[in-house]
Amino acid sequence: MDSQHTRRGALALGIGLAGALAGCLGASSGSSEPPGSSEPPGSSEPPESSASPTPSTTADDAAGPPAADRSPYMAYEASRLRDATVSGGVPKDGIPSIDEPSFLGTSAAALDDREIVFGVVRGDDVRAYPQRILVHHEIVNDRLDGVPVSVTYCPLTGTVLGFERGATTFGVSGTLVNSNLVMYDRATDSRWPQVLATAIEGSLEGRSLREFEVVWTTWGRWRRRHPDTEVLSEDTGYARNYGVDPYGSYTPTVRGYYDRESTMFDPLATDDRLGTKAVVVGARTAAGAAAVSMERLRARGVVDAGLGDDRIAFVHDAALDAGHAYRVPPGVTVESTTDAVRVDGERHAPDALPFERRHAVEAMWFAWAGFYPETTLDA
Amino acid sequence: MRDRLRRAAWTVRAALRRPDGRAAFLIGAGGYPLLYLASIGHLALGGRGRSVLVVDDPVGRAVQQTRPFSFEPVARVVVEPLVVLLSPLDVAVALVLSTLVGANLAVAVAVWRSPAACGVEGSAGLLAGVPALLTGATCCGPAVLFALGVGATGTLLTAFGYATPLTALLLFGGLLLVARSADANAIRTGG
Repeated sequence: MDSQHTRRGALALGIGLAGALAGCLGASSGSSEPPGSSEPPGSSEPPESSASPTPSTTADDAAGPPAADRSPYMAYEASRLRDATVSGGVPKDGIPSIDEPSFLGTSAAALDDREIVFGVVRGDDVRAYPQRILVHHEIVNDRLDGVPVSVTYCPLTGTVLGFERGATTFGVSGTLVNSNLVMYDRATDSRWPQVLATAIEGSLEGRSLREFEVVWTTWGRWRRRHPDTEVLSEDTGYARNYGVDPYGSYTPTVRGYYDRESTMFDPLATDDRLGTKAVVVGARTAAGAAAVSMERLRARGVVDAGLGDDRIAFVHDAALDAGHAYRVPPGVTVESTTDAVRVDGERHAPDALPFERRHAVEAMWFAWAGFYPETTLDA
Repeated sequence: MRDRLRRAAWTVRAALRRPDGRAAFLIGAGGYPLLYLASIGHLALGGRGRSVLVVDDPVGRAVQQTRPFSFEPVARVVVEPLVVLLSPLDVAVALVLSTLVGANLAVAVAVWRSPAACGVEGSAGLLAGVPALLTGATCCGPAVLFALGVGATGTLLTAFGYATPLTALLLFGGLLLVARSADANAIRTGG
């Protein structure tokens, strides 16, 4: 009789598990947006100026992406980062980049206003890249204002960055460092952690990419700021279910990776000044890294930070619920008002202060603190 | 080993001659592909309207790997509320596994309902079918770990990479295990 009980138990357990797993038939979710805010006058963000690429000495140099004139601060040697690089469980290009993107106008976009999009303004081109698409591809090789670029998104670190790619394209290597997407360029197969924007392996090791800012916002906010925007189409050349996010959901936030304290992979360093997935806006220069929690930036409007000899002002763009960073001369007063930012009493739109821009990177705190353990933090 | 394989085949055939064995096989072989395709994100709810999309160069695309033992879908079919991604090689994997699951389930039911077969070691077939259901959709890290909030180690990722062939081996092993002690005649006549 014992054996019969065992068999019956195993059968019941198996059927029970099967029933539980049927719950995998997940439905697409609705969405919710943080509280809205007043809309300052929209203005285009000028593209960052960049110097000429470093003179090439090899075929790889010429074929690879153009070099930035300044390398951002790196807290670790490349060898340490290579040692910390792990497989993400997918092969090279297992997560395929979008190499032939197509775009729709606002009326054809069929996006909910609360959906997350990554927005870019470069010259005359204004584009939005929905998170629901990029979560399945991570990289879009595009052209903006005539310049070949890659718009990149890492779901595990919550980071969106734009890079100039030159004559090559970027792909997803399938590996991660500090949970962050490691890209590869198809000209030299050098490896580029997204947040660091610098090659840590391959013939271009040490080269930094020319960056441009990509804004994390919602479709409704972006559309109101830029009514003439184009939006990435789901006609990506791949068959995917763009309604399902394998990591969880932002709209609404459900129990999943995005809101759990735990990380999937060990970070390079831990720092409990904030929760692991709390959103920060960070900036890095040659001198170091500084960050402010998005919560504090929303509340204050403007937050000052010191970075080496530089003074960095983080500015909240309420209409987009995004952060910008500027290098501000000493002695200048920068204040937040309800609908603008005042610089020595003069009104300016938050994305158009009369100072040199620094790339503002939104990131999950664990990722920023892992890459930049000596970062300052205003929280 | 050859004798063991022969006995396993006899046992499965004997189970399939019984109405309850056949019903169990159909449930297992019909239900498992749905579970498998849902678990890897190729079958989901949330579709709107009706549409069919076929990628360019479907033959070339069909053999591109997205993760170990899983391949690029070549088509997307939306029939509200279902969204189905069609990856020929993933469907083939699902059919192989589902045949093994069905056979295990048929034998398990037949043994369970055969008094003459008391003392036969139970089939672990149903549980053996679980690992492949945990591989999840293509993303950085196994999706099931996101749901559980468990961190991934290199060993765990490697294990997930081999979950699909491991499932096939376990299911096949389950049949061999039952065949070691099952009396096909008892199964055939016991019901």
